[in-house]
Amino acid sequence: MIGIQRKIWTLTALVMFIMASIWIMLTYYNQKTQDQYNDILQRYLRMNEVTSASKQTVNSLNIYLLTPTEGNLSSLRRSEEQLRQAQSSIGLLRNGGNDFALTSYMNLIDSLIETSDRSVLFKSEQENEDSSRAFAEATRISGYISEMTLQLLDIELNTYQQFYRSIIEQAEELKKLGIWILLAITFGLLLFTYWFSLSITRPVQQLTKAAQDLAKGQFERQIVVNSSDEISFLATTFERMRVNINNLILEIREKARLESELQQNRLLLQESQLRSLQSQINPHFLFNILDTLSKKAFLEGAEETSDLLVSVAGLLRYNLKRLDRAVTLYDEVRVMRQYMEIQTARFTDRLTLITEIDESCLSTPVPGLTLQPIVENAVTHAIEPSESGGTIRMTIADAGDCVTVEIADDGPGMSEEKIRGILEERDTQPEGHSTGIGFGNVVRRLRLFYGTPDVIEIDGGEGRGVRVLLKLPKIRRHDTYDKTADRG
Amino acid sequence: MHKTISLALGTICAVFLFFTMISAIRFVQSAWQPPEPQQRAEERYRLVLITQDLGTPFWNKVGEGAEAEAEKLGANLEIWGTYGEDREDFLKQLEIAIDSKVDGIIVQGMDQDDFDNLTKVKAAFYGIPVITVASDVPMSDSMRKTYVGSNALAAGRMIAERLVADMGEKGTVVLLGDSREEYDQRQRVLGVRGVLSAYPNIRIEYVTTSDEEQRIAAATQDVMNRFPEVKAFISVDANLTAAMVQEIGKRSRIDPYYIYSFDDNPDIKALLGQGKLDGVVEQAPSEMGETGVRMMVQWLDGKTVPLDPEGYPTPIRISTTEDAS
Repeated sequence: MIGIQRKIWTLTALVMFIMASIWIMLTYYNQKTQDQYNDILQRYLRMNEVTSASKQTVNSLNIYLLTPTEGNLSSLRRSEEQLRQAQSSIGLLRNGGNDFALTSYMNLIDSLIETSDRSVLFKSEQENEDSSRAFAEATRISGYISEMTLQLLDIELNTYQQFYRSIIEQAEELKKLGIWILLAITFGLLLFTYWFSLSITRPVQQLTKAAQDLAKGQFERQIVVNSSDEISFLATTFERMRVNINNLILEIREKARLESELQQNRLLLQESQLRSLQSQINPHFLFNILDTLSKKAFLEGAEETSDLLVSVAGLLRYNLKRLDRAVTLYDEVRVMRQYMEIQTARFTDRLTLITEIDESCLSTPVPGLTLQPIVENAVTHAIEPSESGGTIRMTIADAGDCVTVEIADDGPGMSEEKIRGILEERDTQPEGHSTGIGFGNVVRRLRLFYGTPDVIEIDGGEGRGVRVLLKLPKIRRHDTYDKTADRG
Repeated sequence: MHKTISLALGTICAVFLFFTMISAIRFVQSAWQPPEPQQRAEERYRLVLITQDLGTPFWNKVGEGAEAEAEKLGANLEIWGTYGEDREDFLKQLEIAIDSKVDGIIVQGMDQDDFDNLTKVKAAFYGIPVITVASDVPMSDSMRKTYVGSNALAAGRMIAERLVADMGEKGTVVLLGDSREEYDQRQRVLGVRGVLSAYPNIRIEYVTTSDEEQRIAAATQDVMNRFPEVKAFISVDANLTAAMVQEIGKRSRIDPYYIYSFDDNPDIKALLGQGKLDGVVEQAPSEMGETGVRMMVQWLDGKTVPLDPEGYPTPIRISTTEDAS
């Protein structure tokens, strides 16, 4: 993780490094040039020194010859000593170009000193003429030295000409180099700073965007930040927060859904109970009467009536008992048959029931009183209005993981609106002679029982008859229905 | 957007970096090291060739020959001198050479006391060998080690023989010489006289003049006035020839006269080419330089000690207009 602070440090260090390098380079170059200039000046000064020292020597010699005292002699010796020093320092200036001239030059200095000494010697021996001749020669030699100095300087200029030019040229080049370096560094730093600032601001922007999304309530989008600094840490934390919040929200939603389901179940149950209570008005009295009526009918030889009464009693009992618990398809089919017997008695030939039942499917659990209301609906809508009656076909078949129950009639069919109403579990006003439980109620209970909305299909249109297809899973998704039913 | 900016900045930066590199390379390359200092003087003979006539073709050749030989023998030779026969400066140069304690001096001889003084007293005092070149000064006067150059006597003789061959054994011959009458000139005159004395019908008139143009012209005029029957001129000093020929040309046609000279002056070649001179003694300047340096080095090395005091003559030959054209 590269921290923002470290990034800033890096940038600063880089800038300082570049600045320092340039400074060092310039200083080094300046120093070098300065040294070179100093060397050159030194050469000139040394040569000049020889000239002045030689003149000084001649001058001292002159003074001594005029007034030959010890003091003047020693001052002459000092001058000569100075000249010798100048001579030895001149020796260091030798190079390929001035070798010949420099040797001559140094020999000239020797000659001057020798001549000067000779003059002093002649003077001490009172040979004034020779002495002054030697002095004249010394003066001449001093003049030659001056000339030779000029000649040497000339050689110097020629030898060093290219060097001087190169110094000037280099200074010129340095100026250009400076400008180029300035430009290159300016743009390089701009580029670097741009990248650098981008590496800080881009994650911040991404984070801002994510925060805005969160503020708008979009908790699903993942927060992605391409960075490896503090912002990334912030982003990771933020992301974790988002996930947590998202999970909490999902949990709350789930809870709310369950709550509402529960509420619905309760309402449904209350309704059922209310209805069953309504129909429980002294049931034993009703059973007893029906029994008595059945027996009386039997005794009077009306066996058919007796059977019918038994069916009515069974249906009634089933209705009262089984509404709130799961039963098997077998029970349902049985009750449905009893109901059909009663209805057959009512409609006689007008009603035909055709059943095709796969016996192996009859152990499937279903909520109580589901088939009978559907069949009742078919009877009410298809048989009752038709004078010629109709046929109700019921098929129970195994379809892999579920059992299909198909109840079809050949009546006038149902309007789209009505079918939609049933599928949306709206309770329709019971028509005709219903046992009391509406189609909508059945649909709702089926869906609650199996925990899936995909349980029932109603296919029908005006004049085509109605075909109701139940798809009953063999394995229930959950037992909510039973539990709530038990609790209720 | 970011990419575009990055790319643009990067490109500009790269371009500038490129120029910076070029500039840096140029900067480094422009550095030129000063010449290496030399700790010790070179262990080579330091020779000086001093002449009065720097820049003339004759002396240029002498210098070239000397330099080539010095190069070959590994000696350090410098050519000093004056332009246009500045005698005072010439002597000064000679004195500087002696005071600078060079190893050897090769000098154009000058038959003057000052010159002799320097070579005989001062150079000998410092132990510096002197070789005269092209113009000689007698050994007794100059204490020179040897002489390298044309044998002036032989040259005089050669020119005289040519004259006799051209002119015949009868006539008046004017010898024009410098009034300084240097050793060289005397030798040449001696040579000419030596030959011509054998012909009694040939009359020799020796005229001297200083080297200013007017004086030469006056002298020429004078001699032509005095001896109108003059048939031949020999200019024993090449420096006088041009003015003399011009003066003759002013008075009459040049053709009838037999005019001879020596070649150690830049004008001679042209005059010969124009046919104004009938014959010129041509010397071998480049050989003079060569031999001078060689002899000096041999003496310094101790290979040839002593050098032949009579000198080492270099070849001479007569060159006529036909040869020159």
